[in-house]
Amino acid sequence: MKFLNKIIFFFYREYKLNLSGVQDILTNIIFFFVSIFIFIFSIGPDTDTISLIGVGILWTLLLLSSTLSLRKFYQEDFENGNLLIMHLNGFSYGLIAILKTISHFIFVQIPFLITIPIASILLNITNDKAFYLFASFSIGSLILSCLGSISSSMNLMNQRNFLLGSVIVMIFSVPVVIFSVGLINLEEDFNSLINILFGILLIIFVINPWASGFCLKLSLENN
Amino acid sequence: MKFLVNPNKFNKVSNYLFKPVLVLSIILFSLGLLFSFYLSPDDYQQGSTVRIMYIHVPSAWLALLTYAIMTIYSIAALAFRIPFGFIINTAVAPIGAVFTLVCIISGSLWGKPMWGTWWVWDARLTSVAILFIVYLIVIFINLSFENRVIKEKVVAIFILVGSVNLPIVKFSVDWWNTLHQTATISKLSKPSIDPSMMTPLIIMTFAFMMIGIAIAILRIKTEIISRKLNLS
Repeated sequence: MKFLNKIIFFFYREYKLNLSGVQDILTNIIFFFVSIFIFIFSIGPDTDTISLIGVGILWTLLLLSSTLSLRKFYQEDFENGNLLIMHLNGFSYGLIAILKTISHFIFVQIPFLITIPIASILLNITNDKAFYLFASFSIGSLILSCLGSISSSMNLMNQRNFLLGSVIVMIFSVPVVIFSVGLINLEEDFNSLINILFGILLIIFVINPWASGFCLKLSLENN
Repeated sequence: MKFLVNPNKFNKVSNYLFKPVLVLSIILFSLGLLFSFYLSPDDYQQGSTVRIMYIHVPSAWLALLTYAIMTIYSIAALAFRIPFGFIINTAVAPIGAVFTLVCIISGSLWGKPMWGTWWVWDARLTSVAILFIVYLIVIFINLSFENRVIKEKVVAIFILVGSVNLPIVKFSVDWWNTLHQTATISKLSKPSIDPSMMTPLIIMTFAFMMIGIAIAILRIKTEIISRKLNLS
């Protein structure tokens, strides 16, 4: 019971932090919409073309804008010592990674999920496709959170080249994008492709606490 | 076989090994180029462009082999605490990147006359391009960390996570319908290639392997020396 209280306090703290820094998340969403505008200006306002390639554009931009917030995944907590305090309070490194991943999913990716219907109106995506996009991104965003946890814990002690973290996330998210966009364009084959996405999610969810916990331990011990 | 895990033994053995390997690679290269340009027949469909295969296929095999070696050494280094694995990871990554680049460039030079385009987005080509980017990220992680203890372990973890790509590269031609042909030699049944083309291919593979080993020996020795200088 005491341990559960600690976990609840962890999420309460994350909630408070994200509420005070809500302008960061809003800036991410504004970035997402502005890049949609820029895409449409560069392609031209032809409705057929846009609805043909809209799903791919949306997935790419969601991926790009969710990698923008990777910097504050572990970095702030690492620099002001909160990660160490959490570990001293009985959280193992793997558990910290899992909790952080879930809180990143709730506080950073859920706002994107909410904006998907508005964005699909802007890009002339039909209702069925918007539903598939919603379903695929709700699984895919958890995969992206896990990848973000791995890459940002790798780059904790990397002071020179932080863009490397985004590159790592993007290179490993290639299969996710392939299967999600395939799911949306091949509507009959819904079940098999969503099972593949679930499979990727389970694999990465198992790898994540191991890999990022190891990297957290490494950085905290060598700091 | 202790020289594969111990830096001092490696230094001693490589002192004997380096010159024979270099001479062997020069001999094999001249023999292989002679075979591939003059002593092997033209293909009945592709004509003379089939000779690109003698560069393309060995470099592709060695790109995969180098990554597999790096994966094995990362597991050894992390699980059994063999620090020589970290030295290998740092030293061998650029060699693998160069092999992958040679494979991609020769492949696109072959693709233009045969398929009509320099580049197609099919599964084999895309996964090899991803392999190249993974190699580049390994090199960049090596360059951008200041603390060496963290750097080498992060590199090892990244290599382990990135090794997911290896079976995808190998089996991409079987899982998807691709423009790239399926495996002709490295499969379970008998190779479906004529012996007159098989000979230069094997010779060129060994030549590439020898030149790779020679460069790797040089790079590993430099790495060992630089680590010794940093420690003392």
